[in-house]
Amino acid sequence: MKNLMKVSVLGLMVFFLFTSCAKQPTQQMDEAKAAIDAVVKAGGNIYAQDELKKLNDELQAAMDEINAQSKKLFKKYGPAKEMLAKVKADAEAVQALIPARKEEAKNAALNALNEAKAAFDEAKALLDKAPKGKGTKADIEAMKADLAGLESQLTEVQTAIDSEDYFGAKDKALAIKEKAAAVSEQVKAAIAKVKR
Amino acid sequence: MKWRISRIALILVGQLSLVLLNQSCQTAPAPPEVARALEQEQDLWRAGASFYAPEIYETYRKQLAEARKFLEKEELKIGIFRDYGKVRNKFAEVLEKGKALQSLVEEKKYALSNEIDSTRKELLARQETLNTLSLDLGQRSYGREQLTQAEVKLREAGRLQAQGKYELARQRLEQASALLNQAENLLRRQLERYMNPEEIGRWKKLAEKAVEKSRSGNQLVILVSKLERKLIVYKGGVAIRNYEIGLGYNGLNDKLHAGDNATPEGEYKVIKKVTPSKFGKALLLNYPNEEDLKRFNEARKKGLIAPSIKIGGLIEIHGGGKDGLTMGCLALDDPDMEELFRLIPLGTTVTIVGTTDPNNKIISILKKEER
Repeated sequence: MKNLMKVSVLGLMVFFLFTSCAKQPTQQMDEAKAAIDAVVKAGGNIYAQDELKKLNDELQAAMDEINAQSKKLFKKYGPAKEMLAKVKADAEAVQALIPARKEEAKNAALNALNEAKAAFDEAKALLDKAPKGKGTKADIEAMKADLAGLESQLTEVQTAIDSEDYFGAKDKALAIKEKAAAVSEQVKAAIAKVKR
Repeated sequence: MKWRISRIALILVGQLSLVLLNQSCQTAPAPPEVARALEQEQDLWRAGASFYAPEIYETYRKQLAEARKFLEKEELKIGIFRDYGKVRNKFAEVLEKGKALQSLVEEKKYALSNEIDSTRKELLARQETLNTLSLDLGQRSYGREQLTQAEVKLREAGRLQAQGKYELARQRLEQASALLNQAENLLRRQLERYMNPEEIGRWKKLAEKAVEKSRSGNQLVILVSKLERKLIVYKGGVAIRNYEIGLGYNGLNDKLHAGDNATPEGEYKVIKKVTPSKFGKALLLNYPNEEDLKRFNEARKKGLIAPSIKIGGLIEIHGGGKDGLTMGCLALDDPDMEELFRLIPLGTTVTIVGTTDPNNKIISILKKEER
């Protein structure tokens, strides 16, 4: 009887030994999720799309592992904890990348805006210098209206930059730059027409 | 003896526990299809499967999740009972489905890119047509701001398309289309009268009367058609000279008062030959005539014209160049004006109409746009 008791106690000890560390790593789960949320908040959807997707997949894999372990008799959450810790560390690393990428995109947008402004100013200056004879008046009127249209588009670039849509701002600024250059060419052609 | 049996049992329980622990915790390497499927899912996401084929993508994801659950279930089994063959099959099915989805996404993207391309070309052609129309008008600034903005949007759409940002490209095309509509409406407003059959009929009668006058009295008559920007000299009912002309800032409208920059319509006479004038030689017309005065007074009575505004005058046919913009006069290139000046005597009838051709180029463009 005594021995049976000993065996039972020993069996229970073995059982508790294997199940005592079977608590789900909720704190690590919350921390990993919070770290991913912080990436999204920092603009990860725009500036770290691939990395964000990878993080979400890693988190999903960790959750799957937890789910799998929760169904086992002898639960082992060690690997899941490691996975969650990696998700958190990776998320923090991705988050750290975003400000530089954002800054880079912002600088590119600002450069494009400056180039567009310069092209616009050049066209405007050329137009102001163009001889306003009877022969060019109509052309000049048309080009003035063209530049007025471009000016409002330049405002839209600034609005896009202000709302942190740097990629959109850059594309628009480059389109304006091209059109402004085309107007400059037209002004030069009109001036040449007068000189002939 | 009993003690020995108990010890042996204890050892066996311990060993069994260790074996169980070892078997259940040990994770055998999953088949390569698992990793490939996960990689494929990442690729599909990057390709925008959730956007281009949301329903199929959702089904695919469910299938993938099921396969993963199957894998988990299999991993719960003690190693010797695990059957990765079934897992492999499940993931192979997922990979197959993913492959089909990848093709579908590529097809859809290709089709969308083509659609964007054709819409963009269509809008560029429309922009070009309206641009030409705008430049054909005397006042060339109508609708040009909108046309320029539309052009910028079309350029943006081209850039976005090249980057594979099709949805944004489509948005820009929609914006460009709306701007082109605005430009067209502004141009139409200018040309509304030129699409009105009654108005065209009235102008036609005036023109016929002018030609008849030249025929019956074998005299010189000038007929000006503003929309076509033509000045034709008739003698004996036959056109003997044909000149291109320039109009005012607001030349296609009928002049109502001073400063409206419109060119008058109706029957006038040359009342003075001016040389030298501000713009080479000039033929001064008797604007305002009786009809102009009547219209002006009626408009003033209706309060359409402020009391301080006068009816204006000094409407001439002058030189300076047909490319110029006048304040309401008709401008010819200087050599043409020299010739006309020599040809036309005082008192010559000058009939100015909007157009006589209901199928002229500009109206055709607008009708085409309407379709």
